[in-house]
Amino acid sequence: MKIERKIILSNTVYLLLILIIGGFAVQALNSVSNKQRFLEIADDLNASFLTMRLSEKNYFLFNDDVALNDIQNNIAQAGDVMDSVRGDIVPVIGEQSYDDLRNGLNDYAAAINQASINHARDQQTADKIREKGRSLEETSNRIIQLERSSVSDIITRSKWLLFSSFFAVLVAALIASRSVTRKILGPIKQIERLARSISAGNFKKIETPMPKDEFGPVIDAINSMSEELEEREEELIQSRKLASIGVLVAGVAHELNNPVNNISMIAQTYDDMYQKLTEEQRIEFMRKVDQESERIKGIVTNLLDFARPKEPKPRETDINALVGKALVLVKNTLTVSSIETRFDLAEGLPQIFIDDNQVQQVFVNLFLNAAQAMAPGGRLFVSTRLQPDESMVDIIIRDTGKGIQPEYLPNIFDPFFSTKEEGGTGLGLSVSYGIIKNHGGNIKVESRPGIGTTFTIQLPVNNLEKGKI
Amino acid sequence: MSSRIMVIDDEKIVGDMAKISLEEEGYEVETFLNADPALKRLQETGFDVVVTDLKMKGIDGLEVLRTVKQNHPDTKVIMITAFADLDVAIEAIKGDVFDFFPKPVRIKELKASISKALSKED
Repeated sequence: MKIERKIILSNTVYLLLILIIGGFAVQALNSVSNKQRFLEIADDLNASFLTMRLSEKNYFLFNDDVALNDIQNNIAQAGDVMDSVRGDIVPVIGEQSYDDLRNGLNDYAAAINQASINHARDQQTADKIREKGRSLEETSNRIIQLERSSVSDIITRSKWLLFSSFFAVLVAALIASRSVTRKILGPIKQIERLARSISAGNFKKIETPMPKDEFGPVIDAINSMSEELEEREEELIQSRKLASIGVLVAGVAHELNNPVNNISMIAQTYDDMYQKLTEEQRIEFMRKVDQESERIKGIVTNLLDFARPKEPKPRETDINALVGKALVLVKNTLTVSSIETRFDLAEGLPQIFIDDNQVQQVFVNLFLNAAQAMAPGGRLFVSTRLQPDESMVDIIIRDTGKGIQPEYLPNIFDPFFSTKEEGGTGLGLSVSYGIIKNHGGNIKVESRPGIGTTFTIQLPVNNLEKGKI
Repeated sequence: MSSRIMVIDDEKIVGDMAKISLEEEGYEVETFLNADPALKRLQETGFDVVVTDLKMKGIDGLEVLRTVKQNHPDTKVIMITAFADLDVAIEAIKGDVFDFFPKPVRIKELKASISKALSKED
Protein backbone atom coordinates (compact mmCIF):
# COMPACT_ATOMS: atom_id res chain seq x y z
CA MET A 1 0.00 0.00 0.00
CA LYS A 2 1.29 3.47 -0.78
CA ILE A 3 2.44 5.46 2.23
CA GLU A 4 0.24 8.38 1.22
CA ARG A 5 -2.82 6.11 1.22
CA LYS A 6 -1.71 4.61 4.51
CA ILE A 7 -1.51 8.04 6.10
CA ILE A 8 -4.91 9.04 4.66
CA LEU A 9 -6.43 5.78 5.89
CA SER A 10 -5.01 6.11 9.38
CA ASN A 11 -6.18 9.73 9.58
CA THR A 12 -9.66 8.64 8.46
CA VAL A 13 -9.69 5.99 11.18
CA TYR A 14 -8.76 8.57 13.85
CA LEU A 15 -11.45 10.89 12.57
CA LEU A 16 -14.06 8.12 12.73
CA LEU A 17 -12.96 7.14 16.21
CA ILE A 18 -13.17 10.76 17.37
CA LEU A 19 -16.65 11.12 15.78
CA ILE A 20 -17.84 7.97 17.53
CA ILE A 21 -16.48 9.18 20.85
CA GLY A 22 -18.08 12.56 20.22
CA GLY A 23 -21.39 10.82 19.42
CA PHE A 24 -21.25 8.90 22.68
CA ALA A 25 -20.43 12.04 24.58
CA VAL A 26 -23.31 14.00 23.00
CA GLN A 27 -25.67 11.14 23.72
CA ALA A 28 -24.56 10.98 27.33
CA LEU A 29 -24.90 14.75 27.67
CA ASN A 30 -28.44 14.60 26.17
CA SER A 31 -29.42 11.90 28.53
CA VAL A 32 -28.02 13.83 31.50
CA SER A 33 -29.78 16.97 30.38
CA ASN A 34 -33.13 15.09 29.98
CA LYS A 35 -32.75 13.60 33.41
CA GLN A 36 -31.86 17.02 34.76
CA ARG A 37 -35.07 18.40 33.25
CA PHE A 38 -37.05 15.55 34.80
CA LEU A 39 -35.40 16.22 38.15
CA GLU A 40 -36.42 19.89 37.94
CA ILE A 41 -40.05 18.87 37.22
CA ALA A 42 -39.87 16.21 39.90
CA ASP A 43 -38.59 18.77 42.41
CA ASP A 44 -41.56 21.01 41.58
CA LEU A 45 -43.95 18.08 41.95
CA ASN A 46 -42.31 17.11 45.19
CA ALA A 47 -42.74 20.64 46.49
CA SER A 48 -46.40 20.56 45.55
CA PHE A 49 -46.78 17.10 47.21
CA LEU A 50 -45.28 18.61 50.38
CA THR A 51 -47.79 21.48 50.22
CA MET A 52 -50.58 18.88 49.88
CA ARG A 53 -49.31 16.98 52.94
CA LEU A 54 -49.18 20.28 54.85
CA SER A 55 -52.75 21.14 53.85
CA GLU A 56 -53.75 17.58 54.79
CA LYS A 57 -52.41 18.24 58.29
CA ASN A 58 -54.37 21.54 58.45
CA TYR A 59 -57.56 19.73 57.46
CA PHE A 60 -57.27 17.08 60.15
CA LEU A 61 -55.69 19.02 63.00
CA PHE A 62 -57.30 22.43 62.56
CA ASN A 63 -60.58 21.34 60.88
CA ASP A 64 -59.78 23.66 57.99
CA ASP A 65 -62.17 22.65 55.15
CA VAL A 66 -60.53 25.06 52.72
CA ALA A 67 -57.35 22.99 53.04
CA LEU A 68 -59.06 20.15 51.24
CA ASN A 69 -59.81 22.47 48.32
CA ASP A 70 -56.19 23.56 48.29
CA ILE A 71 -55.14 19.92 48.07
CA GLN A 72 -57.60 19.29 45.25
CA ASN A 73 -56.25 22.31 43.36
CA ASN A 74 -52.67 21.18 43.90
CA ILE A 75 -53.53 17.66 42.75
CA ALA A 76 -55.16 19.03 39.61
CA GLN A 77 -52.13 21.24 38.93
CA ALA A 78 -49.68 18.39 39.52
CA GLY A 79 -51.82 16.11 37.34
CA ASP A 80 -51.85 18.72 34.58
CA VAL A 81 -48.07 19.10 34.84
CA MET A 82 -47.55 15.35 34.76
CA ASP A 83 -49.87 14.93 31.79
CA SER A 84 -48.29 17.77 29.88
CA VAL A 85 -44.71 16.57 30.37
CA ARG A 86 -45.55 12.89 30.01
CA GLY A 87 -43.74 12.76 26.67
CA ASP A 88 -40.60 14.14 28.29
CA ILE A 89 -40.69 12.07 31.44
CA VAL A 90 -41.61 8.64 30.15
CA PRO A 91 -38.41 8.20 28.12
CA VAL A 92 -36.40 9.20 31.18
CA ILE A 93 -37.95 7.21 33.99
CA GLY A 94 -39.90 4.65 31.98
CA GLU A 95 -43.62 3.90 31.63
CA GLN A 96 -43.74 1.87 34.85
CA SER A 97 -42.37 4.60 37.13
CA TYR A 98 -44.54 7.23 35.46
CA ASP A 99 -47.63 5.08 35.92
CA ASP A 100 -46.67 4.39 39.56
CA LEU A 101 -46.43 8.10 40.19
CA ARG A 102 -49.58 8.96 38.22
CA ASN A 103 -51.57 6.15 39.96
CA GLY A 104 -50.21 7.27 43.31
CA LEU A 105 -51.51 10.79 42.58
CA ASN A 106 -54.85 9.40 41.35
CA ASP A 107 -55.25 7.22 44.46
CA TYR A 108 -54.44 10.21 46.65
CA ALA A 109 -56.89 12.34 44.66
CA ALA A 110 -59.58 9.65 45.03
CA ALA A 111 -59.02 9.49 48.82
CA ILE A 112 -59.19 13.31 49.10
CA ASN A 113 -62.30 13.51 46.92
CA GLN A 114 -64.03 10.90 49.04
CA ALA A 115 -63.20 12.80 52.22
CA SER A 116 -64.41 16.08 50.72
CA ILE A 117 -67.89 14.66 49.93
CA ASN A 118 -68.88 14.04 53.52
CA HIS A 119 -66.21 16.20 55.24
CA ALA A 120 -65.13 13.03 57.03
CA ARG A 121 -62.50 13.48 59.73
CA ASP A 122 -62.67 10.02 61.23
CA GLN A 123 -59.55 8.03 62.00
CA GLN A 124 -60.07 5.62 59.09
CA THR A 125 -60.28 8.42 56.51
CA ALA A 126 -57.31 10.17 58.04
CA ASP A 127 -55.25 6.97 57.96
CA LYS A 128 -56.20 6.29 54.35
CA ILE A 129 -55.35 9.81 53.18
CA ARG A 130 -52.08 9.82 55.12
CA GLU A 131 -51.14 6.43 53.74
CA LYS A 132 -51.86 7.48 50.13
CA GLY A 133 -50.02 10.79 50.64
CA ARG A 134 -46.97 9.06 52.14
CA SER A 135 -47.00 6.49 49.36
CA LEU A 136 -47.14 9.26 46.73
CA GLU A 137 -44.30 11.12 48.44
CA GLU A 138 -42.25 7.95 48.76
CA THR A 139 -42.80 6.97 45.11
CA SER A 140 -41.72 10.42 44.01
CA ASN A 141 -38.68 10.38 46.28
CA ARG A 142 -37.72 6.91 45.14
CA ILE A 143 -37.90 7.90 41.48
CA ILE A 144 -35.92 11.06 42.12
CA GLN A 145 -33.33 9.12 44.05
CA LEU A 146 -33.12 6.57 41.26
CA GLU A 147 -32.70 9.26 38.62
CA ARG A 148 -30.08 11.15 40.65
CA SER A 149 -27.98 8.03 40.95
CA SER A 150 -28.59 7.27 37.27
CA VAL A 151 -27.28 10.76 36.37
CA SER A 152 -24.19 10.19 38.44
CA ASP A 153 -23.79 6.75 36.78
CA ILE A 154 -24.01 8.30 33.34
CA ILE A 155 -21.43 10.91 34.25
CA THR A 156 -19.07 8.28 35.64
CA ARG A 157 -19.59 6.05 32.61
CA SER A 158 -19.02 8.95 30.21
CA LYS A 159 -15.87 9.93 32.02
CA TRP A 160 -14.57 6.37 31.77
CA LEU A 161 -15.67 6.05 28.15
CA LEU A 162 -13.99 9.32 27.17
CA PHE A 163 -10.81 8.44 29.02
CA SER A 164 -10.56 4.92 27.59
CA SER A 165 -11.42 5.99 24.07
CA PHE A 166 -8.81 8.74 24.18
CA PHE A 167 -6.36 6.13 25.37
CA ALA A 168 -7.40 3.85 22.50
CA VAL A 169 -6.96 6.67 19.98
CA LEU A 170 -3.54 7.41 21.46
CA VAL A 171 -2.44 3.77 21.22
CA ALA A 172 -3.84 3.44 17.69
CA ALA A 173 -2.06 6.64 16.67
CA LEU A 174 1.21 5.42 18.17
CA ILE A 175 0.99 2.06 16.43
CA ALA A 176 -0.03 3.58 13.11
CA SER A 177 2.63 6.27 13.23
CA ARG A 178 5.24 3.70 14.18
CA SER A 179 4.29 1.52 11.27
CA VAL A 180 4.33 4.49 8.89
CA THR A 181 7.64 5.68 10.33
CA ARG A 182 9.10 2.22 9.90
CA LYS A 183 7.81 2.12 6.35
CA ILE A 184 9.56 5.42 5.69
CA LEU A 185 12.70 5.00 7.79
CA GLY A 186 13.43 1.41 6.73
CA PRO A 187 13.91 2.21 3.05
CA ILE A 188 15.70 5.48 3.89
CA LYS A 189 18.20 3.50 6.00
CA GLN A 190 18.63 1.01 3.15
CA ILE A 191 19.16 3.83 0.68
CA GLU A 192 21.65 5.48 3.02
CA ARG A 193 23.60 2.23 3.38
CA LEU A 194 23.62 1.76 -0.38
CA ALA A 195 24.79 5.32 -0.99
CA ARG A 196 27.63 4.79 1.48
CA SER A 197 28.68 1.55 -0.13
CA ILE A 198 28.50 3.15 -3.59
CA SER A 199 30.70 6.01 -2.46
CA ALA A 200 33.12 3.40 -1.12
CA GLY A 201 33.18 1.88 -4.62
CA ASN A 202 30.94 -1.14 -4.00
CA PHE A 203 28.19 -1.03 -6.55
CA LYS A 204 25.70 -3.14 -4.67
CA LYS A 205 21.94 -3.10 -5.03
CA ILE A 206 19.01 -3.20 -2.65
CA GLU A 207 17.87 -6.79 -3.02
CA THR A 208 14.78 -6.81 -0.80
CA PRO A 209 11.47 -7.22 -2.66
CA MET A 210 10.48 -3.92 -4.19
CA PRO A 211 8.07 -2.15 -1.80
CA LYS A 212 4.77 -1.18 -3.45
CA ASP A 213 4.82 2.27 -1.85
CA GLU A 214 6.48 5.51 -2.91
CA PHE A 215 9.92 4.03 -2.12
CA GLY A 216 9.57 1.39 -4.81
CA PRO A 217 10.44 3.74 -7.69
CA VAL A 218 13.12 5.47 -5.56
CA ILE A 219 14.88 2.19 -4.79
CA ASP A 220 14.45 1.16 -8.40
CA ALA A 221 16.10 4.41 -9.54
CA ILE A 222 18.95 4.03 -7.06
CA ASN A 223 19.53 0.43 -8.08
CA SER A 224 19.74 1.40 -11.73
CA MET A 225 22.04 4.29 -10.78
CA SER A 226 24.30 1.84 -8.98
CA GLU A 227 24.26 -0.42 -12.03
CA GLU A 228 25.00 2.53 -14.31
CA LEU A 229 27.87 3.67 -12.08
CA GLU A 230 29.31 0.18 -12.05
CA GLU A 231 29.20 0.09 -15.85
CA ARG A 232 30.76 3.53 -16.04
CA GLU A 233 33.51 2.49 -13.66
CA GLU A 234 34.17 -0.60 -15.72
CA GLU A 235 34.36 1.61 -18.83
CA LEU A 236 36.71 3.92 -17.00
CA ILE A 237 38.88 1.02 -15.89
CA GLN A 238 38.78 -0.31 -19.43
CA SER A 239 39.89 3.01 -20.90
CA ARG A 240 42.57 3.36 -18.27
CA LYS A 241 43.70 -0.15 -19.10
CA LEU A 242 43.88 0.83 -22.78
CA ALA A 243 45.84 3.95 -21.86
CA SER A 244 48.18 1.91 -19.75
CA ILE A 245 48.85 -0.49 -22.62
CA GLY A 246 51.32 2.09 -23.92
CA VAL A 247 53.06 2.09 -20.56
CA LEU A 248 52.78 -1.70 -20.49
CA VAL A 249 54.36 -2.15 -23.92
CA ALA A 250 57.24 0.16 -23.09
CA GLY A 251 57.65 -1.56 -19.74
CA VAL A 252 57.67 -5.03 -21.25
CA ALA A 253 60.07 -3.93 -23.96
CA HIS A 254 62.47 -2.44 -21.47
CA GLU A 255 62.20 -5.25 -18.97
CA LEU A 256 62.67 -7.95 -21.58
CA ASN A 257 65.23 -6.14 -23.71
CA ASN A 258 67.92 -6.18 -21.07
CA PRO A 259 68.09 -9.96 -20.51
CA VAL A 260 67.56 -10.58 -24.25
CA ASN A 261 70.45 -8.24 -25.01
CA ASN A 262 72.57 -10.01 -22.39
CA ILE A 263 71.89 -13.42 -23.92
CA SER A 264 72.51 -12.04 -27.37
CA MET A 265 75.84 -10.51 -26.37
CA ILE A 266 76.94 -13.71 -24.63
CA ALA A 267 76.00 -15.72 -27.71
CA GLN A 268 77.86 -13.36 -30.06
CA THR A 269 80.95 -13.36 -27.86
CA TYR A 270 80.77 -17.15 -27.51
CA ASP A 271 80.54 -17.49 -31.27
CA ASP A 272 83.29 -14.97 -32.08
CA MET A 273 85.70 -16.00 -29.37
CA TYR A 274 84.99 -19.73 -29.08
CA GLN A 275 88.56 -20.83 -29.71
CA LYS A 276 90.01 -18.33 -27.28
CA LEU A 277 87.63 -18.96 -24.41
CA THR A 278 88.68 -21.32 -21.65
CA GLU A 279 86.48 -24.27 -20.73
CA GLU A 280 85.49 -22.47 -17.50
CA GLN A 281 84.58 -19.33 -19.42
CA ARG A 282 82.34 -21.30 -21.78
CA ILE A 283 80.55 -22.96 -18.86
CA GLU A 284 80.27 -19.58 -17.12
CA PHE A 285 78.75 -18.10 -20.30
CA MET A 286 76.13 -20.83 -20.47
CA ARG A 287 75.28 -20.39 -16.81
CA LYS A 288 74.75 -16.72 -17.43
CA VAL A 289 72.50 -17.50 -20.39
CA ASP A 290 70.47 -19.75 -18.11
CA GLN A 291 70.27 -17.02 -15.42
CA GLU A 292 69.10 -14.49 -17.95
CA SER A 293 66.49 -16.93 -19.25
CA GLU A 294 65.25 -17.30 -15.67
CA ARG A 295 65.03 -13.54 -15.47
CA ILE A 296 62.86 -13.48 -18.59
CA LYS A 297 60.73 -16.26 -17.18
CA GLY A 298 60.22 -14.23 -14.00
CA ILE A 299 59.07 -11.20 -15.96
CA VAL A 300 56.73 -13.29 -18.08
CA THR A 301 55.26 -15.00 -15.00
CA ASN A 302 54.64 -11.61 -13.40
CA LEU A 303 53.05 -10.44 -16.59
CA LEU A 304 50.78 -13.49 -16.72
CA ASP A 305 49.84 -13.00 -13.07
CA PHE A 306 48.87 -9.51 -13.98
CA ALA A 307 46.97 -10.47 -17.11
CA ARG A 308 45.17 -13.42 -15.53
CA PRO A 309 44.88 -12.90 -11.79
CA LYS A 310 44.52 -16.17 -9.89
CA GLU A 311 41.09 -16.95 -8.50
CA PRO A 312 41.13 -16.18 -4.79
CA LYS A 313 40.74 -19.20 -2.53
CA PRO A 314 38.98 -17.57 0.40
CA ARG A 315 38.91 -18.78 3.96
CA GLU A 316 38.10 -17.33 7.33
CA THR A 317 40.99 -15.10 8.35
CA ASP A 318 41.99 -13.03 11.35
CA ILE A 319 43.17 -9.87 9.62
CA ASN A 320 45.38 -8.73 12.54
CA ALA A 321 47.18 -12.07 12.55
CA LEU A 322 47.69 -11.81 8.79
CA VAL A 323 49.21 -8.33 9.19
CA GLY A 324 51.58 -9.85 11.76
CA LYS A 325 52.54 -12.72 9.42
CA ALA A 326 53.25 -10.30 6.57
CA LEU A 327 55.41 -8.18 8.85
CA VAL A 328 57.48 -11.21 9.86
CA LEU A 329 58.30 -11.73 6.18
CA VAL A 330 59.66 -8.20 5.77
CA LYS A 331 61.15 -7.89 9.26
CA ASN A 332 64.67 -8.35 7.96
CA THR A 333 64.33 -5.58 5.38
CA LEU A 334 62.84 -3.25 7.97
CA THR A 335 65.60 -3.99 10.48
CA VAL A 336 68.34 -3.49 7.89
CA SER A 337 66.84 -0.13 6.92
CA SER A 338 66.42 0.84 10.63
CA ILE A 339 62.70 1.32 10.20
CA GLU A 340 60.58 1.43 13.30
CA THR A 341 57.17 -0.24 13.09
CA ARG A 342 54.19 0.93 15.13
CA PHE A 343 50.88 -0.91 15.42
CA ASP A 344 47.39 0.14 16.27
CA LEU A 345 45.35 -3.00 15.65
CA ALA A 346 41.66 -2.87 16.63
CA GLU A 347 40.52 -5.58 19.02
CA GLY A 348 37.52 -7.80 18.37
CA LEU A 349 37.54 -7.44 14.59
CA PRO A 350 35.25 -9.91 12.84
CA GLN A 351 36.86 -12.75 10.92
CA ILE A 352 36.80 -11.99 7.21
CA PHE A 353 36.63 -14.32 4.28
CA ILE A 354 39.72 -13.77 2.11
CA ASP A 355 42.49 -15.58 0.30
CA ASP A 356 45.08 -15.05 3.01
CA ASN A 357 48.04 -15.77 0.71
CA GLN A 358 46.98 -13.17 -1.82
CA VAL A 359 46.14 -10.51 0.73
CA GLN A 360 49.38 -11.23 2.57
CA GLN A 361 51.18 -10.63 -0.73
CA VAL A 362 49.48 -7.22 -0.91
CA PHE A 363 50.62 -6.36 2.63
CA VAL A 364 54.17 -7.47 1.86
CA ASN A 365 54.18 -5.36 -1.33
CA LEU A 366 52.99 -2.29 0.55
CA PHE A 367 55.41 -2.83 3.47
CA LEU A 368 58.34 -3.20 1.06
CA ASN A 369 57.25 -0.13 -0.93
CA ALA A 370 57.05 1.82 2.31
CA ALA A 371 60.47 0.58 3.41
CA GLN A 372 61.99 1.54 0.07
CA ALA A 373 60.41 4.99 0.19
CA MET A 374 61.93 5.76 3.59
CA ALA A 375 65.36 6.84 4.71
CA PRO A 376 66.87 4.93 7.66
CA GLY A 377 65.04 5.84 10.87
CA GLY A 378 61.68 6.12 9.11
CA ARG A 379 58.50 4.92 10.73
CA LEU A 380 55.92 2.48 9.42
CA PHE A 381 52.46 2.73 11.01
CA VAL A 382 50.06 -0.17 10.57
CA SER A 383 46.53 0.04 11.92
CA THR A 384 43.29 -1.86 11.50
CA ARG A 385 39.75 -0.80 12.29
CA LEU A 386 36.14 -1.74 11.68
CA GLN A 387 34.15 0.85 9.75
CA PRO A 388 31.29 2.39 11.77
CA ASP A 389 28.64 0.54 9.74
CA GLU A 390 30.61 -2.70 10.30
CA SER A 391 30.52 -3.53 6.58
CA MET A 392 34.25 -3.23 5.98
CA VAL A 393 37.55 -3.67 7.75
CA ASP A 394 40.18 -1.01 7.03
CA ILE A 395 43.89 -1.76 7.01
CA ILE A 396 45.92 1.44 7.00
CA ILE A 397 49.61 1.39 6.11
CA ARG A 398 51.36 4.73 6.53
CA ASP A 399 55.01 5.59 6.05
CA THR A 400 57.13 8.66 6.69
CA GLY A 401 58.85 8.30 3.34
CA LYS A 402 59.47 10.75 0.55
CA GLY A 403 55.89 10.58 -0.72
CA ILE A 404 54.57 10.45 -4.26
CA GLN A 405 54.32 13.49 -6.52
CA PRO A 406 50.65 14.41 -7.04
CA GLU A 407 50.98 14.01 -10.82
CA TYR A 408 52.01 10.36 -10.38
CA LEU A 409 49.16 9.45 -8.00
CA PRO A 410 46.55 8.64 -10.68
CA ASN A 411 48.95 6.17 -12.30
CA ILE A 412 50.46 4.35 -9.39
CA PHE A 413 48.16 1.34 -9.78
CA ASP A 414 48.95 1.11 -13.51
CA PRO A 415 51.03 -1.85 -14.60
CA PHE A 416 54.74 -1.13 -15.11
CA PHE A 417 54.41 2.24 -13.50
CA SER A 418 57.28 2.72 -11.09
CA THR A 419 58.74 5.68 -9.26
CA LYS A 420 61.48 3.58 -7.76
CA GLU A 421 65.00 4.28 -8.86
CA GLU A 422 66.16 0.76 -8.27
CA GLY A 423 64.62 -2.54 -9.20
CA GLY A 424 60.89 -3.14 -9.22
CA THR A 425 58.94 -4.34 -12.20
CA GLY A 426 56.24 -1.72 -11.68
CA LEU A 427 53.75 -4.55 -11.29
CA GLY A 428 53.53 -4.77 -7.48
CA LEU A 429 50.85 -2.15 -6.94
CA SER A 430 48.79 -3.10 -9.97
CA VAL A 431 48.80 -6.75 -8.88
CA SER A 432 47.86 -5.63 -5.34
CA TYR A 433 45.07 -3.52 -6.76
CA GLY A 434 43.75 -6.50 -8.73
CA ILE A 435 43.83 -8.76 -5.66
CA ILE A 436 41.93 -6.32 -3.45
CA LYS A 437 39.36 -5.60 -6.19
CA ASN A 438 38.89 -9.36 -6.68
CA HIS A 439 38.02 -9.56 -2.98
CA GLY A 440 35.32 -6.92 -3.43
CA GLY A 441 37.48 -4.41 -1.59
CA ASN A 442 39.17 -1.11 -2.29
CA ILE A 443 42.67 0.24 -2.11
CA LYS A 444 43.27 3.96 -1.86
CA VAL A 445 46.35 6.10 -1.64
CA GLU A 446 47.04 9.49 -0.17
CA SER A 447 50.46 11.03 -0.31
CA ARG A 448 52.26 14.24 0.51
CA PRO A 449 55.73 14.66 -0.91
CA GLY A 450 58.29 14.89 1.87
CA ILE A 451 55.82 13.78 4.54
CA GLY A 452 54.74 10.28 3.57
CA THR A 453 52.24 8.01 1.94
CA THR A 454 49.16 6.28 3.33
CA PHE A 455 47.58 3.25 1.71
CA THR A 456 44.11 2.30 2.93
CA ILE A 457 42.83 -1.17 2.11
CA GLN A 458 39.15 -1.86 2.68
CA LEU A 459 37.96 -5.45 2.76
CA PRO A 460 34.28 -6.40 3.07
CA VAL A 461 33.19 -8.22 6.21
CA ASN A 462 30.03 -9.80 4.85
CA ASN A 463 31.84 -12.07 2.38
CA LEU A 464 31.68 -14.51 5.27
CA GLU A 465 27.90 -14.70 4.97
CA LYS A 466 27.98 -15.32 1.27
CA GLY A 467 30.63 -18.01 1.73
CA LYS A 468 32.28 -16.96 -1.45
CA ILE A 469 33.80 -13.91 -3.05
CA MET B 1 99.57 3.20 -27.35
CA SER B 2 96.28 1.35 -27.60
CA SER B 3 92.98 3.26 -27.64
CA ARG B 4 91.08 3.49 -24.39
CA ILE B 5 87.42 2.54 -24.27
CA MET B 6 85.02 3.06 -21.35
CA VAL B 7 81.81 1.01 -21.12
CA ILE B 8 79.03 2.13 -18.73
CA ASP B 9 75.99 -0.14 -18.33
CA ASP B 10 74.09 -1.25 -15.23
CA GLU B 11 73.83 -4.70 -16.74
CA LYS B 12 77.09 -6.36 -15.75
CA ILE B 13 77.02 -8.80 -18.68
CA VAL B 14 77.10 -5.96 -21.20
CA GLY B 15 80.34 -4.65 -19.74
CA ASP B 16 81.82 -8.14 -19.42
CA MET B 17 81.07 -9.17 -22.99
CA ALA B 18 82.13 -5.81 -24.41
CA LYS B 19 85.41 -6.05 -22.50
CA ILE B 20 86.22 -9.53 -23.82
CA SER B 21 85.34 -8.63 -27.40
CA LEU B 22 86.99 -5.20 -27.45
CA GLU B 23 90.18 -6.32 -25.68
CA GLU B 24 90.44 -8.91 -28.43
CA GLU B 25 90.65 -5.98 -30.86
CA GLY B 26 93.56 -4.60 -28.87
CA TYR B 27 91.72 -1.86 -26.99
CA GLU B 28 92.19 -1.03 -23.37
CA VAL B 29 88.74 -1.40 -21.77
CA GLU B 30 87.33 -0.25 -18.40
CA THR B 31 83.74 -1.06 -17.40
CA PHE B 32 81.40 0.64 -14.90
CA LEU B 33 77.97 -0.30 -13.59
CA ASN B 34 76.89 3.29 -13.10
CA ALA B 35 77.81 6.73 -14.30
CA ASP B 36 78.99 8.35 -11.12
CA PRO B 37 82.33 6.48 -10.65
CA ALA B 38 82.74 6.42 -14.45
CA LEU B 39 82.66 10.22 -14.67
CA LYS B 40 85.12 10.45 -11.76
CA ARG B 41 87.44 8.07 -13.59
CA LEU B 42 87.14 10.29 -16.66
CA GLN B 43 88.47 13.22 -14.65
CA GLU B 44 91.55 11.16 -13.71
CA THR B 45 92.37 9.78 -17.11
CA GLY B 46 91.26 10.32 -20.68
CA PHE B 47 89.30 7.84 -22.84
CA ASP B 48 88.96 7.82 -26.59
CA VAL B 49 85.48 6.36 -26.70
CA VAL B 50 82.74 6.13 -24.06
CA VAL B 51 80.03 3.50 -24.67
CA THR B 52 77.14 4.24 -22.33
CA ASP B 53 73.71 2.83 -21.67
CA LEU B 54 70.95 5.42 -21.88
CA LYS B 55 68.61 4.44 -19.04
CA MET B 56 70.48 4.10 -15.78
CA LYS B 57 69.67 4.85 -12.18
CA GLY B 58 71.12 8.11 -11.00
CA ILE B 59 72.99 9.84 -13.81
CA ASP B 60 71.59 8.68 -17.15
CA GLY B 61 73.21 8.33 -20.58
CA LEU B 62 72.20 11.79 -21.78
CA GLU B 63 73.79 13.34 -18.71
CA VAL B 64 76.98 11.32 -19.36
CA LEU B 65 76.96 12.56 -22.96
CA ARG B 66 76.63 16.19 -21.85
CA THR B 67 79.36 15.92 -19.23
CA VAL B 68 81.79 14.15 -21.54
CA LYS B 69 81.22 16.62 -24.37
CA GLN B 70 81.67 19.52 -21.98
CA ASN B 71 84.88 18.30 -20.35
CA HIS B 72 86.45 16.18 -23.09
CA PRO B 73 85.14 17.38 -26.48
CA ASP B 74 87.42 14.94 -28.32
CA THR B 75 86.03 11.84 -26.64
CA LYS B 76 83.43 10.10 -28.79
CA VAL B 77 80.24 8.87 -27.11
CA ILE B 78 78.31 5.85 -28.35
CA MET B 79 74.89 5.35 -26.81
CA ILE B 80 73.14 2.03 -26.36
CA THR B 81 69.55 1.84 -25.24
CA ALA B 82 67.05 -0.81 -24.32
CA PHE B 83 64.27 0.92 -26.19
CA ALA B 84 64.57 3.41 -28.98
CA ASP B 85 62.70 6.57 -28.24
CA LEU B 86 62.66 9.24 -30.92
CA ASP B 87 62.82 12.11 -28.43
CA VAL B 88 65.84 10.57 -26.75
CA ALA B 89 67.51 9.93 -30.12
CA ILE B 90 66.99 13.59 -31.15
CA GLU B 91 68.35 14.73 -27.81
CA ALA B 92 71.39 12.49 -28.24
CA ILE B 93 72.06 13.71 -31.76
CA LYS B 94 71.81 17.31 -30.59
CA GLY B 95 74.29 16.40 -27.87
CA ASP B 96 76.70 15.27 -30.58
CA VAL B 97 76.47 11.54 -29.98
CA PHE B 98 78.72 9.59 -32.32
CA ASP B 99 76.49 6.56 -32.73
CA PHE B 100 73.30 5.11 -31.33
CA PHE B 101 72.56 1.38 -30.86
CA PRO B 102 69.33 -0.19 -29.74
CA LYS B 103 69.54 -3.39 -27.70
CA PRO B 104 70.18 -6.19 -28.52
CA VAL B 105 73.54 -4.85 -29.59
CA ARG B 106 75.37 -6.42 -32.53
CA ILE B 107 78.93 -6.63 -31.25
CA LYS B 108 80.39 -6.53 -34.75
CA GLU B 109 78.54 -3.29 -35.46
CA LEU B 110 79.70 -1.86 -32.17
CA LYS B 111 83.27 -2.76 -33.02
CA ALA B 112 82.92 -1.16 -36.44
CA SER B 113 81.45 1.97 -34.94
CA ILE B 114 84.29 2.24 -32.42
CA SER B 115 86.80 1.70 -35.14
CA LYS B 116 85.17 4.48 -37.19
CA ALA B 117 85.15 6.79 -34.18
CA LEU B 118 88.85 6.18 -33.57
CA SER B 119 89.78 6.66 -37.22
CA LYS B 120 87.91 9.99 -37.26
CA GLU B 121 89.84 10.98 -34.19
CA ASP B 122 93.13 10.23 -35.93
